[in-house]
Amino acid sequence: MGEWSSARVWRSRVYRYRLIAGRCRSCGRAHYPPANACPYCGSRDLDEVELPRVGRLISYSVVYATPFEDRDRSPVVIGLIDLGIARLVAEVVDVKPGDLRVGDRVEAVFRRIAVDGNTGLIVYGIKFRPVRVG
Amino acid sequence: MVYVTGVGLVNVDRHYDKSTRRLAFEASTAALESSMAEGVDFIIVASSISYLHEPQLDLASYIASSMGLRGVRSITVECGEASGLAAVMTAKALIDSGQASRVLVVGVDKLSEYPSWRVYKNLSLLYDTESDAFYSIGLGGIAGLLMRLYMNVYNVDRLTLAYWPALMHQNAKANPYAMLRFAITPEKVLEAQPVAEPLTLLDTFPLGDGAAALVLEGKASRGVLAEIVDVESATGYQSIALSDDPLKIESLEVAYGRLVERTGMGSVDVVELHDSFTITGILILETLRFTERGKAAEAVAQGVFSVGGEGPVVNPSGGLKARGHPIGATGVYQVAEVALQLAGEFPGLKVDGARSGLVVSINAMGSSSYVAYMRAVG
Ligand SMILES: [Zn+2]
Repeated sequence: MGEWSSARVWRSRVYRYRLIAGRCRSCGRAHYPPANACPYCGSRDLDEVELPRVGRLISYSVVYATPFEDRDRSPVVIGLIDLGIARLVAEVVDVKPGDLRVGDRVEAVFRRIAVDGNTGLIVYGIKFRPVRVG
Repeated sequence: MVYVTGVGLVNVDRHYDKSTRRLAFEASTAALESSMAEGVDFIIVASSISYLHEPQLDLASYIASSMGLRGVRSITVECGEASGLAAVMTAKALIDSGQASRVLVVGVDKLSEYPSWRVYKNLSLLYDTESDAFYSIGLGGIAGLLMRLYMNVYNVDRLTLAYWPALMHQNAKANPYAMLRFAITPEKVLEAQPVAEPLTLLDTFPLGDGAAALVLEGKASRGVLAEIVDVESATGYQSIALSDDPLKIESLEVAYGRLVERTGMGSVDVVELHDSFTITGILILETLRFTERGKAAEAVAQGVFSVGGEGPVVNPSGGLKARGHPIGATGVYQVAEVALQLAGEFPGLKVDGARSGLVVSINAMGSSSYVAYMRAVG
């Protein structure tokens, strides 16, 4: 991620801390994060909906070319996740990349996203981890 | 009508000794000399990552002043990786409207200014910072997961996809402006350092600096290289997660549809397209319907898009992969290369007898797409 001011972090807290998506009253489709208008039909008649916290991994990439501040936890796994009424891209944690499979069930967890090296500001948000079986 | 009357190219490389302004100056001077133009009405500067790498706001005015064009009209265009073709579109609109008769378009960016980890971080800002790029997607996180999706959906193996970078390196060998002028085998792509699995370092562009310039004119009096018939564009979803079909670049489909409708264009002889990653090149070929869905990698491996193949010749320059990809400059390189091909003057791999060409430039995985249709004159 790029540079984030504390005001910007504060503004995004609701959908970053809970999986709040936008839902279009016109076409019925959901999108995450919430936008000012529906990305599908352009309607501005929107409300909010909380997304399911468990979904499936559609695809993923194991990223080695990471920014410096993420080097200690490189490689970072980035997943495309299907939550039923919406999809999103998010980091997948608590797994060895080699153990991950497309189609795996994943669940949302609250984690630290980044620490700003200049200000010490800590940004939190949602990542996903594989659902433990049994 | 807009004609390309001059082009100037700086070889893509690590130009530690040259500033953004110096590179822009060298490309512009070469373009103005090749067109023998006396004075321009506008200078349009296409630049993107320079705002982070050699920070300067209102860049076009400072570039204009530093090259002695005092009093000229200037505009800076920033559309991420598509900045170059967006600048050409802006120039064409000014000429078509009669507000300008001769425009200098110069694209410039530097990727060698900082260590690669910092460049990766800055390049991730080409993606949506409120969704995908909120996470540490680095250089190729989104491209990597699209590549895996493509391999799974169409049952294409990794080696088949490696024929794209091998072809790009082969094409670049003769291009004096290309950064990577050596051949590689498809096998070598798989053995290279992983960047964002399943893609490796050889699936993506080298980090180089460059500048390219064009002189565009409304009247074709002398020394015309080619005609720019039309430029079209469209915006797309902010994230691949919003698309029901992320293996199709929707903004490109819309932009290309508009271009075909406006120009009535048919097949073309030469294409320069945006292969920021192997998978980007493959998805563009399929979105343009040059092959069936899921078949482009195989077609590349069979030589369909090579010189002498059935398809148009794609990226005879070596593409972003091997010519290089100085972000905001790339679209200007592409238009210059196609113009030189159509004039029979390209100094690298030539497409003999090419009469029509297509340029495709997109940002990220299609936050926006730009396309240009070009024709030979005379
Ligand atoms: Zn809607």
